[in-house]
Amino acid sequence: MTANNQSFWKKTAQGVKGFFTDLGKKIADWFRGVPTRWKKRFDSVKTLLSNANGKVMASCFVMGLGQLLYAQWIKGLIYLVVQVAFVLFFVFVGAKGIVGLFTLGTVEGNAWYGVEGDNSVIMLLLGILSVIALVLYIAVYIANIKDAYKIQCIVESFKQPPTFRRELGTLLDKNFYKVALALPILGVCVFCILPIIFMILIAFTNYGGKTVPPRLVDWVGLENFGKILTLSDFAPTFFKIFGWNILWAVLSTFINYFAGLGLALLLNRKCVKGKVFWRLFPILAYAVPGFITLIGFKFMFSYGGPINYYITKAGGNAVGFLDIDAKWPSRIIGLAVNAWLCIPSSMLLATGILSNMNTDLYEAARVDGASSWKQFTKITLPYVLFATMPVLISQFIGNFNNFGIFYFLRGGLYIDGYFLASDTDLLINWLYNMSIDNNYYSIGAAISIVIFVVTSVISLTVYVLSPSYKQEDTYQ
Amino acid sequence: MKKLVKHPKRLFGVALTYLLLLVVAFVFLFPILWLVLASFSKSGSLYSFKGFFPTEYSFDTFKKLFVDTEMYNYPRWFANTLFIAVMSSFLGTFLTILTAYCMSRFHFKSRKALMKTTLLLGMFPSFMTMTAVYLLCTQFNLVNQHWGLILIYSAGAPMGYLTQKGFFDTISISVDEAARIDGASNFQIFIKITLPLAKPMIVYTLLSSFVWPWSDFILPKLLLKNKDLYTVAVGLMSLDNTEFSRFAAGSVFIAIPIVIFYFALSKFLIGGLSAGAVKQ
Repeated sequence: MTANNQSFWKKTAQGVKGFFTDLGKKIADWFRGVPTRWKKRFDSVKTLLSNANGKVMASCFVMGLGQLLYAQWIKGLIYLVVQVAFVLFFVFVGAKGIVGLFTLGTVEGNAWYGVEGDNSVIMLLLGILSVIALVLYIAVYIANIKDAYKIQCIVESFKQPPTFRRELGTLLDKNFYKVALALPILGVCVFCILPIIFMILIAFTNYGGKTVPPRLVDWVGLENFGKILTLSDFAPTFFKIFGWNILWAVLSTFINYFAGLGLALLLNRKCVKGKVFWRLFPILAYAVPGFITLIGFKFMFSYGGPINYYITKAGGNAVGFLDIDAKWPSRIIGLAVNAWLCIPSSMLLATGILSNMNTDLYEAARVDGASSWKQFTKITLPYVLFATMPVLISQFIGNFNNFGIFYFLRGGLYIDGYFLASDTDLLINWLYNMSIDNNYYSIGAAISIVIFVVTSVISLTVYVLSPSYKQEDTYQ
Repeated sequence: MKKLVKHPKRLFGVALTYLLLLVVAFVFLFPILWLVLASFSKSGSLYSFKGFFPTEYSFDTFKKLFVDTEMYNYPRWFANTLFIAVMSSFLGTFLTILTAYCMSRFHFKSRKALMKTTLLLGMFPSFMTMTAVYLLCTQFNLVNQHWGLILIYSAGAPMGYLTQKGFFDTISISVDEAARIDGASNFQIFIKITLPLAKPMIVYTLLSSFVWPWSDFILPKLLLKNKDLYTVAVGLMSLDNTEFSRFAAGSVFIAIPIVIFYFALSKFLIGGLSAGAVKQ
């Protein structure tokens, strides 16, 4: 056992070491490439500037001027309009926005004296948008110079530069992806990236509690992270919840995964007739929307629920399964309910993987007289683990951030010894309690960054240790 | 049968297998059966039940669900949910298919960077940015607006383009090339060749992006404060013990379309779920 253990740790250490040396090499290569890449870029800029004629230089100062001088009227006008619009935007909004990003407001509003103060949150938002607009403008500016230079090259080789109509035509053909991707990228930027940036920035301010507009918000650096780790209000709660969160994620992932695999193997047995029929029940459970089953289970375990009905009928006292003092009963019920919800999907996954599996190996094993347990541990399990490792990691993260279970089963409970949380709450529930129910925005944002770091470190490490990473070609 | 009798060990194994299957079937079916039975209960309160079973059965609860709308306006909630789910399903599918097609067919310069970015963004659980989304929505005036929800659902949809990209990758490129020789532009190829070939994938995307808003409770709970604007999920959450059978009836009613979808799609589901797995 010890020898086995030792070799396991050795392997683990080697895996981690190998990954980091690989990573280190890649990073070093990247940095070693930086001077050459910059030199290349610098050289290309130099050739462009030394070869550029006056018309291209005109484009450097006034966007679109070069194009206009080459009689590319519509394109030149568009560039010109973009520049004028941006300058106007920058003078009236953008500059203030970028300054506001640093100050987050200087005048505090006071209704008594009729002072209309700065709204720090809007200023933060406006600041982010202004920076994005500036970056976009620079990109358009560079495109403008490149375009002018391209026209110069075409003209110098005595050809006709393409007409505006022809260039529009490429948007439906060669450059179709630019048109098609514009809308999805815009949507993702506004509704996924902007909130993430916003949240990350908020973690470094004192926004929340009493410090909400009209009061001024300010940058506080790493103070919020310090508060979570040291302050007597937050720190004990954080570590207690964190420990339970890890335990929950490991246990529930383990249970769901192996129960799902077991179910799939059970259904895969040769003696089972009517597989479709038996598979119907888990799929039915999978299809019912999660919130319905969760509320249903809450009713089932409540004081007036059916389980307590039978207990009281048998002469016992009603049990508060999910009550304020029911720490472990509610945790176990949570695990069970989560298993009920998740086993069907992991069963479907395992079924899909098993159906792709090569059965020759079993034939060979049977000839060699291997028991079915040996076949499982030596053939099935390694294969399935290998194939599902990425999914397993995402399941782990999903469980780590499983909001619904305890929100429905035991939501809204605040327990002594915990700051705005209960002993079943996960970090994500705590985050919700803090930021949505109680306005602790900046602390909530800091917690979500901690969650992100923890989940990504864990998933990266697991992935590195997994066979999928170490021996990518074993099963191919 | 004779063969089985000869091998008592094997007979035992078969019996055990079926016993286990029965237990599994019971465990998964029973809570659902309980809710379905409860929806046919004559009295609404959980306290009037005899354990798992209603004391009297009738259709009253379903009738009440649609007629007695003063406190709990279920038909309204249902219409809201339907509107949100249908709109976000169409918009989301449109965006997802476009993204997947471009990622599969165009090898442009920033393609790798885009794919890595989506991977990285996917590591942020969408839930984590909830506070930020909420604050943004208050600034953009999207609180208490169904369109706000629709925008958020459909804007997030292209992030899950990988399954669809995998599908487009399997459509042979030689068809495209033949069309290009005939003078078709990429836009025409997309509309006239790729889309018709991708019909099953479009149906799958439509349905899967319908299911998410249909059964989501987090965003609507966050953004809809007005009782008349509730979706079914938020509405059902606001019911307590004494309205248990109303909850059950409302659940049954909203679960039926999803259950039908899932059974129609069970083949697709296995494929979609294992799409994230390492391919052979």
